[in-house]
Amino acid sequence: MIDTDLGRKIVAVLLIVAAVIVGTVLVRRWIERHGEERPGLQVVPEETRSVTLYFASRQADGLVTETREIPVETGLESEVRAVMTALAAGPQGDDGVSAIPPGTLLLQAYWVEETLTLYLDFNRTISSAHPGGSAAEYYTIAQIVRTIQANFPQVRHLQILIDGYPVETIAGHYAVDKPIDVMKWR
Amino acid sequence: MTRTILLTVATVLAAAVLAGAAAAQNEPRRAEPDATLGVVYADGRRTEDVPVYRLEEDSEELFVSAYDLARIFRASRFWNPSARKLNLRIENRSFLFTIDTRVVVADESPVLLRVPVRYANGSVMVPLEFISEVLPRGTLGNVDLDEQRLVLTIGSPEYNVTGVTFEEDEHESRAVLALSEELLYHVDAETPGLLRLKIYGGKVNTLLIGATPGKGLFNRVRAEQTEHDAYLFFDVRRSAERFRVEFLDADRRSGLPNRLVIHLERGEQPEIPGVELAGRRMTEILDDADRGRGGAIVKVAIDPGHGGIDNGKVGPSGLLEKDVNLHLAVMLRELLAGQYGMEVLLTRTTDELVPLSRRAEIANEWGADIFISIHCNGWFHPDAGGFETFFLSPARTEEDIRLASEENASLQFEGTGIGSEDLGDLGFILWDMVQNEFISESSGLAELIQRELDKVLDIRNRGVKQAGLIVLKGCRMPAVLVETAFLSNPSEEKMLTDARFRQDLVRGIAEGISRFRSRFSGAGATSR
Repeated sequence: MIDTDLGRKIVAVLLIVAAVIVGTVLVRRWIERHGEERPGLQVVPEETRSVTLYFASRQADGLVTETREIPVETGLESEVRAVMTALAAGPQGDDGVSAIPPGTLLLQAYWVEETLTLYLDFNRTISSAHPGGSAAEYYTIAQIVRTIQANFPQVRHLQILIDGYPVETIAGHYAVDKPIDVMKWR
Repeated sequence: MTRTILLTVATVLAAAVLAGAAAAQNEPRRAEPDATLGVVYADGRRTEDVPVYRLEEDSEELFVSAYDLARIFRASRFWNPSARKLNLRIENRSFLFTIDTRVVVADESPVLLRVPVRYANGSVMVPLEFISEVLPRGTLGNVDLDEQRLVLTIGSPEYNVTGVTFEEDEHESRAVLALSEELLYHVDAETPGLLRLKIYGGKVNTLLIGATPGKGLFNRVRAEQTEHDAYLFFDVRRSAERFRVEFLDADRRSGLPNRLVIHLERGEQPEIPGVELAGRRMTEILDDADRGRGGAIVKVAIDPGHGGIDNGKVGPSGLLEKDVNLHLAVMLRELLAGQYGMEVLLTRTTDELVPLSRRAEIANEWGADIFISIHCNGWFHPDAGGFETFFLSPARTEEDIRLASEENASLQFEGTGIGSEDLGDLGFILWDMVQNEFISESSGLAELIQRELDKVLDIRNRGVKQAGLIVLKGCRMPAVLVETAFLSNPSEEKMLTDARFRQDLVRGIAEGISRFRSRFSGAGATSR
């Protein structure tokens, strides 16, 4: 009898504790969700930088640009990664076509200050999902080179790697086996 | 019952694991490095970790990729794919590796390694024993490999720009730079009162140069060393009118070293002409004995793009670029051989994959006068269309120029390096430089083909373009690549299946070649 009474008390206490925890979580979540609407809790926007992305024209006869705001990152390598991710995501306007195959990811960017060389290590998709054709391959490289040139003037040479290794070409035409001089490349 | 199920599951799992292991062994995978080699440089380069691999089952020997090796020692790599040979030029020395053999030909004497050189992970792999045992035997100093701790220390480079002296007479002042090897240089006089001399691959003692007082029209000189190159800055007087630079070879009899002389002439007006690119050695890298220039253009190499597992572009209705390219090439051969009396060789006559660098090699070995690569274009949007013709824009980075100069220096080096005749026999070429000297002819050929195609085709003329196309790089002859039409454009894909359109294409290309022959061949060629 006493046992049952004690058991009931324990259950009651546990229920109250559980209710308090659930209540706190719910209230906190509500505040998080609605907090932004209240002027007092407004989130300070991240510092951003405006970058220029290069895409190809529909007719494959030139490059078109679009601008994006990307969060300011610490260090060239992380900023390059943010820009390349935006580039790989494709154009937002109707004028541009992206020659970077969908699914292409920049795995890593390495900056070698001594030689002013930027190494861009992409996943294999850039090559395996490439539809072929020299115009398509040209603009794949051109979009990368011109976007880097426009946003990172300190980069003089750029080397495209795939899965960490240098490759002869992306789709069988254009040499990318050595660092590209971003000023002279065409 | 339970036991039976468990047994079945275990059997299936074991089979899967075994199958997986077998598959992994068959397919060439990127092996994880077994260790890393720390490389410490005394020349200002950042310390780096280089992956090394254990490739022999019964040996602890570690291998480093030739790619890393070349970078570490600033070597030029020459590759002969058909012979599976790799030649590394490190400073004045030459090392010849053959895949799957233990012999390394160091300069001219063979050395036996404990284990063979291998090909793995997409690269020639050289045992570390090469660095510890073979490299230090010659002149190369200050290479220290600690095999226990896996640390490689590369000592400080020797200076090759050894000093500067100034001379003066009534007409001019001269700055004479002593060089221990022949180096490429570039003079820039864009800033008034300043001559900026860049010496590719130069290693200069900046303190020594800076301590040399100027004379005559030269006020002062100071030097700077970058990772690859040396810079000298000459402050010149305003009365200097023009400059001239000459390179003087070493004179054994009088004991004079190689000299780079900057002549500065006195004048009334302070006027210094513009930039002068002194690429003297660049054009002399290859002897022109077998170039067959000035003769008739009769031998045409035609390269049908892609092939084998490489389909090239696939059209929306399934037309394969490799098939179109081959058919066009065969048609072009018939036309050139029949109507124009030329000899024609195809780099492939069947549906096979010929490596890109091999294609140029086939044309080189045959002694072709012209190289034409035939392709179809492709784009992401069906609208794009037209034809275009390419010639090579050489990827002449500073690195390439430096390598070329080192290469040349090693050819100059008497006694130890292999001579240029041997070089020819082995078929080694510094690929990126070969097409450079045919650029103007290649551009002419591209223009003529594009113009003739424009006369016969009704699709868009996209013009002549210059690009770093790898298939053209190794060609020792005028070389172009024709992008005939867009397979990604449904109406052009349809045209490409049409016999009449193919006939027009081939006629345009042949007529362009014929016009090129009339313009660039020596006398007599046009009468054929």
